[in-house]
Amino acid sequence: MGAPRKLAGALLKGVLRLAPHASREWAAAMLHELEFIPGDWAALFWALGSTAAILRHAASSWRQWFRSKSNKEANMNNTGKKALGVGLGMFSGLALVGCALAVLRIVGTLFPALDHSPWAYWLAVMAIPEAIFVAATVMLWRKRGPVAAGILATALVMALHVAVHLTLHW
Amino acid sequence: MKLRLSPQTLLILDAFLLQADEWKYGYDLSRITGLKSGTLYPILMRLAERGLLETQWEPGEPGKPPRHMYRFTPDGLRFARSSAAADAGGALGQVALGLVEG
Repeated sequence: MGAPRKLAGALLKGVLRLAPHASREWAAAMLHELEFIPGDWAALFWALGSTAAILRHAASSWRQWFRSKSNKEANMNNTGKKALGVGLGMFSGLALVGCALAVLRIVGTLFPALDHSPWAYWLAVMAIPEAIFVAATVMLWRKRGPVAAGILATALVMALHVAVHLTLHW
Repeated sequence: MKLRLSPQTLLILDAFLLQADEWKYGYDLSRITGLKSGTLYPILMRLAERGLLETQWEPGEPGKPPRHMYRFTPDGLRFARSSAAADAGGALGQVALGLVEG
């Protein structure tokens, strides 16, 4: 066995050892085929070409892996954006309820006669905010779905709170 | 199923069409087509990844390692024949149409 053939064998054995899983069967095929090539120099050229082929195949596998990883990250970013939208919607809903309570307190201070009126309370804290929530959800549903979902969630929590309150106290 | 039909790919399809039902070895394909291993194997890999070629290890003779063999799958044969029809004037077309003996 001449030196070029020995070199070819060593090269392809090294390639086989280092090749990624997807390319290993092909690297083994190229290595075994070496035995059937007459001529030491032809074997060396076979090994060089095979090494290039395996490198290209491995590079293609790595590119695919990298692309799938990038896509996963993009999906994660989308999920993050949606969560942020829902959070923003819920925060907006709660801010509106806070504003309604503040308005109610100011009205109670300015007009003491209305302070203990249950109708004023229900109108300010329940009816008006719920109407705004429903209108905002309908308007935003198509363009800003996550924000609309957040507002809707706040509206549902508010309605549930009122239902529990009514059940316990009336 | 997109596969770039380069002249080298056509040569390989041509070689497989000659005796479509027989298993072929890498080195034999290299000799038939005149392609170097660096050109031949990437095409074989692409054909196998697309399900057009099936591969198998042949148990080696005593003192010899097992050999990797290749053959068209039914899809591969259909693909090669349709490619041959599209390339009817070329070498592949002549093989598919029986103008060259295999």
